[in-house]
Amino acid sequence: MQYLSNMNNEPNWEWEISTSHKWYQLGLRELVHYKDIIVSFYRRELLAAYHQSVIGVSWIVLQPLLTTLFYFLVFNKIVKVSTDNTPPVFFYMSGSILWAYFSDCLSGAMYSFIHNAHIYNKVYFPRLVVPFSMALNHTVRFAIQFGLFLLAYIIFMCVSGRFVMSWQVLLTPLLFMQIMAFALGIGLITSVYVARYRDVEHIMSFLLRLFMFVTPVFYPASIVPEHYRMIFWLNPLTPMIETFRTLFFQTGTLHFAYIAVSAVTSVSVLMAGLVLFRQKELKVMDTI
Amino acid sequence: MLMPGPVIKVENVSKRYRLGILNSGSLKQDIAAAFRRKGALQDSAIPAANELWALRDINFTINQGEAVGFIGRNGAGKSTLMKILSHITQPTTGNIKGIGRLASLLEVGTGFHPELTGRENIFLNGHILGMKKKEILRKFDEIVDFSGIERFIDTPVKRYSSGMYVRLAFSVAAHLDHDILIVDEALAVGDTDFQIRCLQKMRSVTQQENKTVLFVSHNMQAIRDLCGRLMCLYDGYIIEDGAPAKVIGNYLQREKMQYLSQQFDKPGEAPGNDEVRIKQVSVEAVGKKIIDAETPLTIACEYWQFPDGDSEYMVGVHIYDWSWICVADMHSEGYKRGEGLISAVCTIPAGFLNQGVYYISFDFIKGKDKKVWSFDACLSFEVQQSPGYKGWNGYVRPGFPVNLSFNKS
Repeated sequence: MQYLSNMNNEPNWEWEISTSHKWYQLGLRELVHYKDIIVSFYRRELLAAYHQSVIGVSWIVLQPLLTTLFYFLVFNKIVKVSTDNTPPVFFYMSGSILWAYFSDCLSGAMYSFIHNAHIYNKVYFPRLVVPFSMALNHTVRFAIQFGLFLLAYIIFMCVSGRFVMSWQVLLTPLLFMQIMAFALGIGLITSVYVARYRDVEHIMSFLLRLFMFVTPVFYPASIVPEHYRMIFWLNPLTPMIETFRTLFFQTGTLHFAYIAVSAVTSVSVLMAGLVLFRQKELKVMDTI
Repeated sequence: MLMPGPVIKVENVSKRYRLGILNSGSLKQDIAAAFRRKGALQDSAIPAANELWALRDINFTINQGEAVGFIGRNGAGKSTLMKILSHITQPTTGNIKGIGRLASLLEVGTGFHPELTGRENIFLNGHILGMKKKEILRKFDEIVDFSGIERFIDTPVKRYSSGMYVRLAFSVAAHLDHDILIVDEALAVGDTDFQIRCLQKMRSVTQQENKTVLFVSHNMQAIRDLCGRLMCLYDGYIIEDGAPAKVIGNYLQREKMQYLSQQFDKPGEAPGNDEVRIKQVSVEAVGKKIIDAETPLTIACEYWQFPDGDSEYMVGVHIYDWSWICVADMHSEGYKRGEGLISAVCTIPAGFLNQGVYYISFDFIKGKDKKVWSFDACLSFEVQQSPGYKGWNGYVRPGFPVNLSFNKS
């Protein structure tokens, strides 16, 4: 729905429904108008997810803890991968919560149409509400997990005196936003195609799994051979995770060029996702 | 207040759907279409075999405060039109302009989550329908009052009976602060009393607050009560637009040939609900091809019953005349039966119905007076003038004797 300005000779039409709209009309202002619904969807997701579950919301912290433990046993004790002299628990925890944030935001957005077809088919509201509320849901989850990480980090820092916390740590929210932008962008793009071709769903879950292996989640970027280093660092997630670790654990130096490339990629992907999603949001519903 | 001017203007709206299942062919088609997108031959280049025009060149204007009804048989394009007006799907051609907030109610309880309580669902559903938090808070008590389920407001809706669920859902919708409201068959659910209350609420809204209502229904009674103007759709076109009694009359007249019987083979595809599914309905003249006033009629309905526990059921037959006035209301005895196929037959003796066009609805009642479902206007027939007579007045022609006595004076 587009809001119109005045026209001669005609009543003052306030909105118009037509066959298409311009690519730059992302409807973000309309989204602000519907902010209540984003919160409402978020609450629904949250309440529904932990209803009839014995330990409920504790899963949010239990999940990264168990993953960390598992990574520790497998990659540290059995496979013996380096952790760049970082205490393994912190190393794996940082990798796993950042990766989970990325993959959850991506899948949340990817299933926008499929999981909400019954609502999309019956009532109008900006379709972007759903992926945004999913992103909000995963951001809150991530914030709790990051809080847990910080708590453990500070305790460890005071007890062992090993880490140094610099002011640059305050910039980490920018990293998180970058992760979300990248994940949401890919999620929005795939959501349109998943709705039309379910094959994309299988391809994506497969690719996502492979993508984790080429991202420094449970190993440090420093072990990547020189030969592959550049292509490895062009993965937008590599600079994000490595920067996080450098800031907290003082492992190596910051690669500003790669950070910039990653930021530009993320924002571009997000913009492409928003444009595509807006262009197709109504057409997709005819084919689902 | 503003002078009632146009609030919706629909111009040249058409809608094409692609048919057929998705397969490798459709990928090829998509890729081909992507390359063809540039240039004007986009539309003409697509083969016509697997596409369906659900709406063709629709034009109309609706003024503020009007209550406009839409009728037409299934597949005529009513729902597609409502979906386009609600901004759920895009028109293939044309555009729609409007003034004011539009709320659409194509289903009651959209977005209700079974795990959430009634209270939480009021907010969720309200937000989805476009209400702001403040608005919901202000109207919350009124909504709960209207639904009549105060006691269960903090119970998850999965524990609600289907009736309670619908009442709560409709109450939210009935309190929408819209300028334009679109209602598509949403009233076809719920118990009769509640439906009447909803209709009254909607009518008072349009009349007092000068709001605009667009209403789709198969229930001719409801649509005639509520609307001041009707449009009839047929095969994607609007073929009539005018006063309700006239449009309904013509619609039913036009449809009558199709409706001497209807048959459905699979319960899953048959009309009905969780408790009743129609297998077949028919009206027949006993021993004759043509129905006239001298012919007895049998009105039959065969249906699958899926009883809800140990409830007592009853089936009713209603006969309406062309202007949708009920001529007769007959019903069976109450019965209790397990799941199964039930056949109900009502015989109308010769010389009861006068000549004219009639419609039949079947009602399914549970307990004393709870309407489970009704199959409205599912049959229609014309009673022909009996040969040799010019015709009688009146709805019925019972042929009660008029006795004469000749007193010698």
